[in-house]
Amino acid sequence: MTEHELTTTLRLHPAGPHVLTVTGELDHHTAPRLRTALEEIELEAGSALVIDLSAVTYCDSTGITVLVTAYHRTQAEGASLALAGLTPDLTRVFTVVGLDQIFSFHPTAEDAVRALKS
Amino acid sequence: MGSARMIASTAVSPDAERRRLAAVRRYAVLDTLPDGTFDRVTSLASRIFDTPIATVSIVDERRVWFKAARGLPQGLRQTTREPGLCATAILHEGAYVVNDTLADPHAAVHPLVTGEPEARFYAAASITTSDGQCLGTVNVLDVRPRQVTDEQLAALEDLAALVMDELEQRLAAVRTLTTERRLRTDAERLARTLQRTLLPPALPKVPGLQAAAAYHTASVYEVGGDFYDLFPLNDGRWGFFLGDVCGKGADAAAVTSLVRYTLRAAAVYDPDPLAVLVNLDTVMQQETQDHNARYCTAVFGLLQPDGDDFVLTLADGGHPPPLAVRRDGAIEPIHAPGGQLIGILPKPNFVQSTARLHPGDTLLLYTDGLTEARTSTGSMLGEEGLTAHLAAHLPAARPGAHGILAAVHELIDGLGGGVSDDTALLALSVADRPIHPSAEEAR
Repeated sequence: MTEHELTTTLRLHPAGPHVLTVTGELDHHTAPRLRTALEEIELEAGSALVIDLSAVTYCDSTGITVLVTAYHRTQAEGASLALAGLTPDLTRVFTVVGLDQIFSFHPTAEDAVRALKS
Repeated sequence: MGSARMIASTAVSPDAERRRLAAVRRYAVLDTLPDGTFDRVTSLASRIFDTPIATVSIVDERRVWFKAARGLPQGLRQTTREPGLCATAILHEGAYVVNDTLADPHAAVHPLVTGEPEARFYAAASITTSDGQCLGTVNVLDVRPRQVTDEQLAALEDLAALVMDELEQRLAAVRTLTTERRLRTDAERLARTLQRTLLPPALPKVPGLQAAAAYHTASVYEVGGDFYDLFPLNDGRWGFFLGDVCGKGADAAAVTSLVRYTLRAAAVYDPDPLAVLVNLDTVMQQETQDHNARYCTAVFGLLQPDGDDFVLTLADGGHPPPLAVRRDGAIEPIHAPGGQLIGILPKPNFVQSTARLHPGDTLLLYTDGLTEARTSTGSMLGEEGLTAHLAAHLPAARPGAHGILAAVHELIDGLGGGVSDDTALLALSVADRPIHPSAEEAR
């Protein structure tokens, strides 16, 4: 918790979607890094984004804000968004705040890519 | 330099001496431990002059104290402030030389001349601050009369200037430290003041109800956005809320104030819990710009007295469900799943639930600083962890609002550094019916 480590890696999946892999702890020290990474992704109507959170060990309210902002942006652009790989802790946190109703959760990034394509 | 410059100790005005002493105090060097920097200065000085003795001396009110000394009798750390040597030298700008102490009426009777080390030669350069206050001197002494060159004296003055530079740097470091300490104290005071503003000063007395609240701060530097309140409505019902604004610091604190007052005002306008949350959502959506998105989670509830019971109606907006701790020790969440974050989502969903609180039952509301705290295994405590702790640590029956908060307090203490966010707690217990009169007091 003193390190505030967070890394993001963006790749273009062969099937089309952008896949942003996030690793580390998502708190109010690191959330700006994710915000920047998300803002740099070029989205347009019909494009798709998967955020892979399988290596995220912690997410606080500022992390949630960044994800909701990403949701707003994809909605505004007409793009689609899916979250993948939530740990049980994260699933619990997201469900308590009702995010399960606006995001689709998928076990892995591959699952999410398949779901977005279909 | 021919023979000793014969200088009687010039009369110094008390004011000038007071200013000089103030400067000596400011640099806080007197009676500090020996250190290498100043030892190197005396080592260099004695090498340049080829003298057995060299000192870095600071002139105090009544004594001459050696910050560094080379070649003096072991343990000699200071001498009296007699005229003739150092005490005279500080009255002179630049270098001061006594080629033969016995030829100088003041120096001849100085303790360092009449006693050990029986100095016969003395040269000094003053350690002078940028505003002209002389703190002391860098000195060389020998046991025989000596002549010196201008180069040697120039080097001695350079050494004295080096000593001054060093003292300036140390003073600057001390000042930085003091400033930082003051800033930190100020920040802590501000954080405490803000917290007091955000939280109600005291809970009202509610007939038939015992209410207790607590606020645990995770960090004094980062004000959290947790809030709660308990207040009367004008129809005999009581309103309460507890929640958490996302983020920390001054911006979050401003939104927290907005949320608190909006909830109070909305409850006056229409106390229906769902309506209150919808109004809060509307206000927050208007208030916060997209780039500066702020949301909160909150539980808003009403308590309607009904005989010895209270009927509870509450609405949840993305907040962990409150727990009902029943009189018999059973613990259950008051839960209607599906409530969403307030202030950030289009058409958010809020859910309402009702329950009945009987005498001896307690409703516990908490913020996620508690349930998102990490246990020793690294996973989040969760509602299960909280429930399990309460089940294991509550007294057998009817602990009441204060007893339950004490149990939670114990849990938070045990989690220690695992608690990374503030936690607000509100407990509401329905006054218990005595089973038999003797048992009631037993608490």
